[in-house]
Amino acid sequence: MSWVQARLLAKGLSRGWGGICRTGLSEAPVAQVSLRAPRGLHCSAVTHKDDTWLIPQPSEPQKPNKVPVVHEELFGSSANGERDKKSFTHAVRSFGEHNVRKRGHVDFIYLALRKMPEFGVERDLSVYNLLLDVFPKEVFRPRNFIQRIFVHYPRQQECGLAVLDQMERHGVMPDRETEFLLIQIFGRHSYPMLKFLRMKLWLTRFKNINPYPVPRDLPQDPLDLAKLSLRHMEPDLSAKVTVYQMSLPSDSTGIDPIQPHIVGIQSPDQQAALARHNPSKPVFVEGPFPLWLRNKCVYYHILRADLPSPEEEKVEEIPEEWNLYYPMQLDLEYSRSGWDNYEFDVDKVTEGPVFAMCMAGAHDQATLVKWIQGLQETNPTLAQVPVIFRLARSTGELLTISRQEEQSPPHSPPKGQEEDEAFQAQQQQGQS
Amino acid sequence: MSGCRLFSLRAAAVAAAVTAARASRVPRVFTATHRPLHTSLRSCSFAKELFLGNIEQKGVFPFPEVSQDELNEINQFVGPLERFFTEEVDSRKIDQEGKIPVDTLEKLKSLGLFGIQVPEEYGGLGLSNTMYARLGEIISMDCSITVTLAAHQAIGLKGIILVGTEEQKAKYLPKLASGEHIAAFCLTEPASGSDAASIQTRAMLSEDKKYFVLNGSKVWITNGGLASIFTVFAKTQVVDSDGSIKDKITAFIVERDFGGITNGKPEEKLGIRGSNTCEVHFENTRVPVENVLGEVGGGFKVAMNILNSGRFSMGSAVSGMLKKLIELTAEYACTRKQFNRNLSEFGLIQEKFVLMAQKAYVMESMAYLTAGMLDQPGFPDCSIEAAMVKVFSSEAAWQCVSEALQILGGSGYMKDYPYERMLRDARILLIFEGTNEILRLFIALTGLQHAGRILTSRIKELKRGNVTTVLETIGRRLRDSLSRTVDLGLTSKPGVVHPSLGDSANKLEENVYYFGRTVETLLLRFGKTIVEEQLVLKRVANILINLYAMTAVLSRASRSIRTGLPNHDHEVMLANMFCVEAYYQNLFSLSQLDKYSPENLDEQVKKVSQQILEKRAYICAHPLDRTS
Repeated sequence: MSWVQARLLAKGLSRGWGGICRTGLSEAPVAQVSLRAPRGLHCSAVTHKDDTWLIPQPSEPQKPNKVPVVHEELFGSSANGERDKKSFTHAVRSFGEHNVRKRGHVDFIYLALRKMPEFGVERDLSVYNLLLDVFPKEVFRPRNFIQRIFVHYPRQQECGLAVLDQMERHGVMPDRETEFLLIQIFGRHSYPMLKFLRMKLWLTRFKNINPYPVPRDLPQDPLDLAKLSLRHMEPDLSAKVTVYQMSLPSDSTGIDPIQPHIVGIQSPDQQAALARHNPSKPVFVEGPFPLWLRNKCVYYHILRADLPSPEEEKVEEIPEEWNLYYPMQLDLEYSRSGWDNYEFDVDKVTEGPVFAMCMAGAHDQATLVKWIQGLQETNPTLAQVPVIFRLARSTGELLTISRQEEQSPPHSPPKGQEEDEAFQAQQQQGQS
Repeated sequence: MSGCRLFSLRAAAVAAAVTAARASRVPRVFTATHRPLHTSLRSCSFAKELFLGNIEQKGVFPFPEVSQDELNEINQFVGPLERFFTEEVDSRKIDQEGKIPVDTLEKLKSLGLFGIQVPEEYGGLGLSNTMYARLGEIISMDCSITVTLAAHQAIGLKGIILVGTEEQKAKYLPKLASGEHIAAFCLTEPASGSDAASIQTRAMLSEDKKYFVLNGSKVWITNGGLASIFTVFAKTQVVDSDGSIKDKITAFIVERDFGGITNGKPEEKLGIRGSNTCEVHFENTRVPVENVLGEVGGGFKVAMNILNSGRFSMGSAVSGMLKKLIELTAEYACTRKQFNRNLSEFGLIQEKFVLMAQKAYVMESMAYLTAGMLDQPGFPDCSIEAAMVKVFSSEAAWQCVSEALQILGGSGYMKDYPYERMLRDARILLIFEGTNEILRLFIALTGLQHAGRILTSRIKELKRGNVTTVLETIGRRLRDSLSRTVDLGLTSKPGVVHPSLGDSANKLEENVYYFGRTVETLLLRFGKTIVEEQLVLKRVANILINLYAMTAVLSRASRSIRTGLPNHDHEVMLANMFCVEAYYQNLFSLSQLDKYSPENLDEQVKKVSQQILEKRAYICAHPLDRTS
């Protein structure tokens, strides 16, 4: 328990420190900005609760010093129902028109950054450039070497960094215009410019680092999403995706109120392996297992068997009369020498073969039986093999953390969004 | 051991008998050499010995000759045949119509070209392999006819000559030799190219055990639509020695009259369009048991022997074509003027003629050397040599025809000239009768098997770490690296190679010696798993082909000098040029076989191919792509 106390204390201290800084640095009442100049010091679990750590959290109600959010009306008023790029740029422009002196532009930019996902413009480079354009030009550029040594206009530089940070998080690559703006605003020797250069260097290198890229916009249709996920998991390109059952909306008449979709994938090799499977040994349907695609979690099931016992495994014999043109094996007594044996000495845990995978709208046995029935059409041997369903009760705790309830877990009620600190503290305690 | 000696004695006796028979029948036209063709009875040691770093001179030096009488006889035959092909055969029409005219076929039959190698007593010409190669040179003036004839007698009826019983021979060969019946070879199936285990065609023995019922389909059968006699390979159930029932391949002679045989329509092909290629279907065709070719269940060996024995003739056929090509293009190059100069005055054009002449010379030498080896008494097995001739000549054909087309420039691309047809026709040479890739594996693996057996004890001792063997090996390597001069006896006085080719002979000896060393190292490194190292095998085969070609060229050029043939100085130049080129190619290949040499890119090749095939696409980003 003392650990929790210490953490709470630390948090309070940090807020206090922020307050001191605020009062010391600027006169304007800026409740939302918690300045974290010495970042390394504060990078504890407290500040890393959320990855959007540079942008202040939406106003927390329990705070006593709550100040109404300024400029909120700019984003609210334009809402004639639509929230898109046009209305967002309109809001940003109207800030500049209303406010010739650009008073409170830092607050406005922070607010705009928070609002961006709502308007769906968080991946739009031109909007970020527009946002940077809000800064007054030439004012924050250091004029002499002393200013250059110290952080000149730290609040504004922090704000500029926040814009670039959000760009980085969404994988938006800055361009020449961004560079031009940053030089105009902060000068060449400033922290935002340094950040910009680093982004220019590293973002290009990291952009395509994932050899198995997931599309940025996942398909909305669960059927398409299932197809995509199955393809994503299956390395064999000749594997065939089969839709065993289309989902029907629940309101359509029928005995079954809801008919979930069932999509399966099976490669020719898996099909052959299933055909070779010893019918006296059972096969298992296991799952659901989670698969994360960006911020979505989907669940899949596999059809697998236990590893055949060594004496059962047939040694593949090279038929004597096989190749008409050249010998398939040499009749020699010696084999490869150690120098040319490139196989690493790896302890391999051999697993039983996986015969097929599927994704279904529901994770109950009734649905999965339909999948097996569908599989039997292409794999006649499956009809003779006993199938055992080993379905997990819940999909585990992973889903409780996911905010978007795309696919509700089969049996476990979600634990709710207990995102308060006590819960976190519990987890931390459990770990320590 | 005693069996071996007995055999060689018998072989000598056969040889004596043959020479005696020849002597007694000198005045006859087409002296028959009654040697039923057999393969894989005795190993022909030249190529295999190369793997051990030795040059087996017997049979190779001096270059095999034919007697004056035989030569006169064949020359009598060559003249009219050449006239027929230049005057009467219209290759362009054959190509356009996709069919050989009936009267042309009739004329070919009357010339006896359908039974060149069928023994005389069955109505054929009964020519030796050398003479067959000589005729092939002329027949190759039209590729469609060449392929039709080859499918008929090099593979189609070859089975009957090789393993047929007396009754089968007497029944089928006369009509086949006269061309009344045309033969086809039915092996390939939709699912089975070189993989014999996946043959689907089945032959079931009937209950009264008098006939087999044949069912199945064969694809890409040359002469499939014309043939009346088919050599068909099908799976039959055979009771094994241990009592279990197994599926084994059996060869059958099937007549079209047996019923149930249908053809697909002739395939549209890139080249050799005049030859007939189609699917052949067998539906409940009843084949009498006496039509089994060889033994029941022995079809695999029959197929292998037929395929191995049919390959050597491609060398002479292609060289005939190339010689014709040189004449045609030289005519053009010496008359076409650009910038007031003939094309023939330009170095880049001259170079192409050298290439064509050199390739033609080399493949001719290889082809006739191999034919001569095959004609030696004792039924030699020259399958490696024949495969080397096939690989070399097919690749040279493709390269030379392409270069010839280049000499013509734009005209070569037009249908008005024969070059585009020749280019199309030449492409098949790299594919049929075993693709060159497969034949390279065959060449390398057969030789490595031979070398591996002989080196077994040595390699075992090396692996066990026997001190004397290891020290001896190290000592030998040291001596090799300190500029050892290799002498395998080609140029010793009096050498088998003429002194004007001495340098080339030394190069050959050096290559052979280091090739032997490399083979030993490879076997030590990979052992029997070398089967999986296809990149290594390809290089081994390439070196071996070069070595064999160098030997053939040296042997032939030496003979030309010593017997004083016209233009032998030209031959010597060609031979020396080729040997220098091949020598450096070999050195490069040998260094690529070295594990740690910078030339060895095998690891990279494997990695790149794996990455491409994993994605099944070209995975590089577009040059215009940007990350920002």
